[in-house]
Amino acid sequence: MDLLSNKPHIESISDTSLNVLVIDLARRSFERKTFSELHPYVGGIGTGAKLFSIYKTYDPLIFSIGPLNGFFPYASKTSIVLQHNNILEDLYLGGALSFKLQFLGVNSVVFLGQSVHPLAIEITQEDVKFYPASIDLNSLGLPGKSSYLNLGRQGVTLDNYFTAPEGYLEKKFSEKNLRSLVFTGNKVYTITRPEKYYELYKTLLDKAPEVTVTPSLNPSCSGCPLGCADSRVGEIGGALLTHTLVACNFARNIYSDIGTVFSCLDVLGYRYTHEELENVSYKISTLIRELNTSLQK
Amino acid sequence: MSKSLVVSFPEKCIGCELCVMEVQRQLNKIGLNGSPIRVFRNGTKFTVKVDITDSNIDLSKIREVCPTQVFTIQESVLDGLVE
Repeated sequence: MDLLSNKPHIESISDTSLNVLVIDLARRSFERKTFSELHPYVGGIGTGAKLFSIYKTYDPLIFSIGPLNGFFPYASKTSIVLQHNNILEDLYLGGALSFKLQFLGVNSVVFLGQSVHPLAIEITQEDVKFYPASIDLNSLGLPGKSSYLNLGRQGVTLDNYFTAPEGYLEKKFSEKNLRSLVFTGNKVYTITRPEKYYELYKTLLDKAPEVTVTPSLNPSCSGCPLGCADSRVGEIGGALLTHTLVACNFARNIYSDIGTVFSCLDVLGYRYTHEELENVSYKISTLIRELNTSLQK
Repeated sequence: MSKSLVVSFPEKCIGCELCVMEVQRQLNKIGLNGSPIRVFRNGTKFTVKVDITDSNIDLSKIREVCPTQVFTIQESVLDGLVE
């Protein structure tokens, strides 16, 4: 018997609860919370929708990653959940933000309420700092380790390039008096059992031809070698299992396969069953339907 | 004879950070902190900095993982200080 079989391949990943940073814009305060009830929703749109149900009276703006972001290729997006015209919307932003959130050690960041004055917020593992919107953003963050989400004349842009579709994020930033968010990820995970992880990583990286984009030389999302033109504007809606992870929708041929998802999660130390993964899409779509019904009342 | 990883074609970098992940994986780490390769973004432009001192790092794997062939490996006979 393999004595290592129950030990995680990656150190310091929690299999039973998710870490959430909750930021109250009206009070300029923050709290780090742990939610075991998010675990069945895996991540991304799943945890975003569940957190929305918990905080819905505060008009939450929720950024979430999934368990594979930062660890496996094409798991390169960040899920954004918000309400627009009393409908729950799920957007997906490309770029490097998902890496920064994974290396911040949080699964989700929730912004509640609205600020009286326009704000810039700097988020690190240790602290959340609130600044007037006029601050020079170059004075915040760390080179190579930070991503900048900024409301400007071109709408909300991530690192001066990536945007979210439909203008919903711009409207929510304006309503909340948010101007800039700076995310800095410093956390490092130690690989305790590298062989299987490396093997799976390489297998997935070699599946690039299954991603339905044209490889090019545009700025790429972190963890994706394809540099496609499609990632700039992000995504709205799409395959639920893929978006719990939070993988690129163009990589759904890879991440819609329960066996692949199970193997990735298993190597990282998550103990979801096949049945749980098969049912997660139904669980999330039911929750979203209930939330939309309650928002429209 | 020593080998070094050189950023020969920085203009080709698309910012995917696979090189960062590869070098960190070889060090049994996942994350950006302490990486001997760093990628700095500004919109559509990227700058890559390399500072690899560990001779156990497999440079060819880093060169190969880059989808746009930003890196080359150069060999040098000069090890250490010369007069």
